[in-house]
Amino acid sequence: MLPGLFGLMLFYFGPFVGGIYFSMTDGSVDNNFVGIQNYQKVWENEVFRLGLRNSLELSLICAPLIFVLSFVLALMLRSLGRASLPFRNILLMPYLVPTAALLIVWMLIFDYGGPINRILALFGVDRVLWLESEYLRVPVVLLYVWKNVGFSIVIFSAALESVPDELYEFARLEGASAYKMATKITLPLILPTAFLVFVLAWVNAFKIFKEVYFIGGAYPNESVYTLQHFMNNKFSKLDYQDVTTAAYSFAVIVLVLFGVLYAQKGVRGHD
Amino acid sequence: MTELSKARYRPGSSRFLRFLSYLLLIITSVLILLPIVITFLYSFFPVKEMTGYLKLRNNYSNEQWMDILLSPSIVSLRQYYSLMIEKPIYLKLFVNSAIYTVSVIIGQALIIPALAYSLSCFRFRGRDTLFFGVLMLMLLPFQVTMAPSVLIMRTLGLMDTIWAIILPMLVSPFYVFLVRQYMVTIPRDMLEAGLMDGAGTVRTFFHIVLPISKPILGAACALSFADTWNLVEQPLIYLSNSRDLMPLSVMFNALSTEEAGVAFAGAALYILPALLLYTYFQEDILLGIQLSDMK
Repeated sequence: MLPGLFGLMLFYFGPFVGGIYFSMTDGSVDNNFVGIQNYQKVWENEVFRLGLRNSLELSLICAPLIFVLSFVLALMLRSLGRASLPFRNILLMPYLVPTAALLIVWMLIFDYGGPINRILALFGVDRVLWLESEYLRVPVVLLYVWKNVGFSIVIFSAALESVPDELYEFARLEGASAYKMATKITLPLILPTAFLVFVLAWVNAFKIFKEVYFIGGAYPNESVYTLQHFMNNKFSKLDYQDVTTAAYSFAVIVLVLFGVLYAQKGVRGHD
Repeated sequence: MTELSKARYRPGSSRFLRFLSYLLLIITSVLILLPIVITFLYSFFPVKEMTGYLKLRNNYSNEQWMDILLSPSIVSLRQYYSLMIEKPIYLKLFVNSAIYTVSVIIGQALIIPALAYSLSCFRFRGRDTLFFGVLMLMLLPFQVTMAPSVLIMRTLGLMDTIWAIILPMLVSPFYVFLVRQYMVTIPRDMLEAGLMDGAGTVRTFFHIVLPISKPILGAACALSFADTWNLVEQPLIYLSNSRDLMPLSVMFNALSTEEAGVAFAGAALYILPALLLYTYFQEDILLGIQLSDMK
């Protein structure tokens, strides 16, 4: 246990606390204390704002998508009982597959002359330049959802197994529809898990970077330039103060998100 | 019989809904599998055919389509041969990735269960604060602690060495959280029974806690493999000056652009260990997460 604690302190807590100090000094030789000046500077930076907006928007597309998809799929898996095992195994598979290995197929599918555009053409829609325009968001989001939906399904499924069958039997006798049962019985009963799935999905989607980096590189189309790009690029320019300041703004946002959702959960718990 | 396969048949579900679920799940599964299947299929195409095919990409003429290839002109292992024998750089990167992954998993196996055990079964001052800290760190992206971490690595002389990647991963907060959430569900009576019979905390740990935690340890192992095998952010920063230490995850993209003809075999080989490991641990993942306290 001790080496573990030591490691946590050295590589996680230490840098975390050190970073707070870092973000408040000016990075010169005497390292003067400048308070929140760095924060003001970074928040006025256009590129930072662009990254922040994109990260927020991308996460607000991905998280609900993953949340709804995984809830519906988990319900379906439950209704199949034992027969669902092969599906469960398949749905989680992408989580283990490295992103880089998939890229080549992804680029092929979304090529200007590729299958997706062919399907669009079948319906009489014009081809879309997926990989080099603001539509780059579509392949990025799809890759992210494709890879991560399985993990949410597993957590949801675990919670669903704990809902007693009798409740559904009873509801069915009362003539409740499948939709009613899902929203009136299942969802309230598994609310804490639903909360966890949503928070994890949101926070993780907020951290989306790999997918964009692989498809678009360090300076991708403006529509997918994330906060992480901003930080990495500032870092390669050795502007540590800006990186850390941006990072802490990021951290504060994530923790506020978490706090708000957590408080929400506390309130609902009292019903 | 495992916990999962005992999942009951639900007699009441209406037939139509069951049918619909089947249909939608089959469609979803096909969509999920398709990219993986294509990768493996295309890896058996002759190198020339693939090179030619991939040259058709990024063609912006509105008259031209890319063909959808379904079967190779001749099944060929040439792509694999070329990767394994003719281009040592691929194998080199593959081995790098393997070194990182294996060391991280072994190290985690030594450290994380004990840490999770102490966070779940002991009461000591500051335990909950510590756990809250772990939870918080788990949610934050790597970049938050990036700059100070680099300073620490530099002070320790670890920049541009493999240790800069391995050491922080050994105490990765997510896995501490995962294993701890499972261990809190172990009934206290069981641990106390162990202690009463004269087994110390250490023996309780090895003879009671570890065997019970087998599913979550398997799950953590598989997930951690996936994580390390797919590492991008950390090497980009910590290894920025030493390209020959880079793992495959960072370099594969560049490699497959240069050598488009063998890219699919490269991708297939790269996916394969992950898939094998997944097949081995899949029950553990499902069971481990199902039994742990994820609420």
